[in-house]
Amino acid sequence: MARPPLPPHLIKHLGLKVGLLVGATAFIAVIFLIYTLFARGLFEPTRSITLIADDVGNVAIGMPLNFSGFPIGEVKHITLTDQGQGRVEIEVPTKHLHWLRSTSVFTLQKSLVGGAKIRVYSTDLKAPPLAPNATPELYTGDISEEIPVLVARAKALLDNLERMTHEGSSLDQSLDHGRTVLGRMAGDYGVLEGMLGSADKAKKVVDAIDRSNKLLASLNGLSLKMDQRVFGQNGVMDQTDQAMQQVNAALQQTRASLKKADAILANAKEASGDLVRLRAEIDDSVNKVNGLIDELNRKWPFAREVEMKLP
Amino acid sequence: MHYDRHMSWLTDILSQSGDALIARFATWGRTLRFGMVTLAGIFSPALYNSATRTVVQKQIYFTAWQILFGFGLFAALFSLILVRIASTAAQKYGLGDFALELILRVLVIELLPLMTALFVALRSGAAINAEVALMNITNEIKALEGVGIDALRLEFLPRVIGGVVSVLALTALASLCALLIAYLDLYGLQAYSLADFSRVVGQVFTPLLLFGLWLKCMLFGLAVTVIPIAAGLDSPHKLFFAPIAVLSGMVRLFFVLMLIEVGSLTITYL
Repeated sequence: MARPPLPPHLIKHLGLKVGLLVGATAFIAVIFLIYTLFARGLFEPTRSITLIADDVGNVAIGMPLNFSGFPIGEVKHITLTDQGQGRVEIEVPTKHLHWLRSTSVFTLQKSLVGGAKIRVYSTDLKAPPLAPNATPELYTGDISEEIPVLVARAKALLDNLERMTHEGSSLDQSLDHGRTVLGRMAGDYGVLEGMLGSADKAKKVVDAIDRSNKLLASLNGLSLKMDQRVFGQNGVMDQTDQAMQQVNAALQQTRASLKKADAILANAKEASGDLVRLRAEIDDSVNKVNGLIDELNRKWPFAREVEMKLP
Repeated sequence: MHYDRHMSWLTDILSQSGDALIARFATWGRTLRFGMVTLAGIFSPALYNSATRTVVQKQIYFTAWQILFGFGLFAALFSLILVRIASTAAQKYGLGDFALELILRVLVIELLPLMTALFVALRSGAAINAEVALMNITNEIKALEGVGIDALRLEFLPRVIGGVVSVLALTALASLCALLIAYLDLYGLQAYSLADFSRVVGQVFTPLLLFGLWLKCMLFGLAVTVIPIAAGLDSPHKLFFAPIAVLSGMVRLFFVLMLIEVGSLTITYL
């Protein structure tokens, strides 16, 4: 079974076609290699900036440095400093260096989904440019670390809410009571019924108010009469006035009497001076009698009863 | 007596399965040896003369040029679908930034080379396998050797070279197509996002990875030609063994393609 050989001339432009294909392949290979080298920034002047961070856990080599959402640099090395901090070296093409200022803030943001992002914020673009040997700090804010705390607090809050709202809770009861009160308020006696609890009690209050009104009306008449009796001509007040005048006169008489009494008392004082002398004389007499009795006792030796009673 | 019968039965079983195992290993060994000889032949300058060049050109023409349009269309459609799936899924999960990297890593680096190799294996590998098996069965190879023509140099090596170049060319064109489609799908018909695109491409395609990618494609190209030729040469000199030779050759080829793919994945990601 010999195969008929296929002469080259049966295929039109065989060499050209194959040359085209192979040439295109080689061209693609070389161009793509150069393109990737360009894309990797091999032919671009760059400057390395060093960031210091407490935790470089999610930083990966090749991670972009974003400024306003645009990648302006790439992480090249991650090492550990002597102080135990993370050192992130970022290659920034010199054409992008003017975005980095001495006041720029570098942050590492870790999100729940997707990789971390290194961002730089330069609010003041007129500030002096970042010094070549500067090592700005890379601030790490990890939202995922705060989530457990947040969840715990939210859970406590929800528990409280549940306790407050469950069947038979105080809030539930309060609302029930509120509904009852409002229902009563809608009755014949309105708010009064709501406050007192039943229509009967409210009725009593209303009756009491009615009676009070009547009482006030009669009191009003009474006060008019009293006015007449007390403050009118020959009323209580007039008579009282007269009585007071009489009392005043009586008091003046009393004052004169007291003056007389004063005079009497002055006489009595003088009399009491004589009394002192009299008393001395009496004391003297008594002493003499005492001496006499002692004399008698001595001269009366048989006497059984030595004591002599003085009146 | 009874014991002896049992023993002989066991001995038969063991020797039969042992023979099968040895035969299988021998087949793989012959394939490997042929591969080595081919590799050595490719790098010998004596190979390259006008006669072999014509065979190489014809091989490339039939393997790559003839299917260029159909394959390009298929690769474009396949890329478009995968790019859309990747970008839609990534954006749905809020990972739109990673869509391009995913596309490059999955489609351009892994799927397109493998798909190209499978395409070439189905179209040309099977044909080469059948052709070599028939040449072997009809003693054509022996006849060539009889008149002093080295079949390896004139018939087989040009096919291997043609196959490798074809796989490389088709992969390169399909990848270029996929990159264009990915850019158009992700950024639209405008050039302002080229810097963003380039950054991700540069990040993914390190020089080492590019080298590995080309090496993988070359291995694919070698596999889709060397294994069918070896399988064809391995077939017994009976006509009805030809389909069996094609079948076993294709199974072996698919196995090797998967082995190369898994190996490259292991080296890249482990």
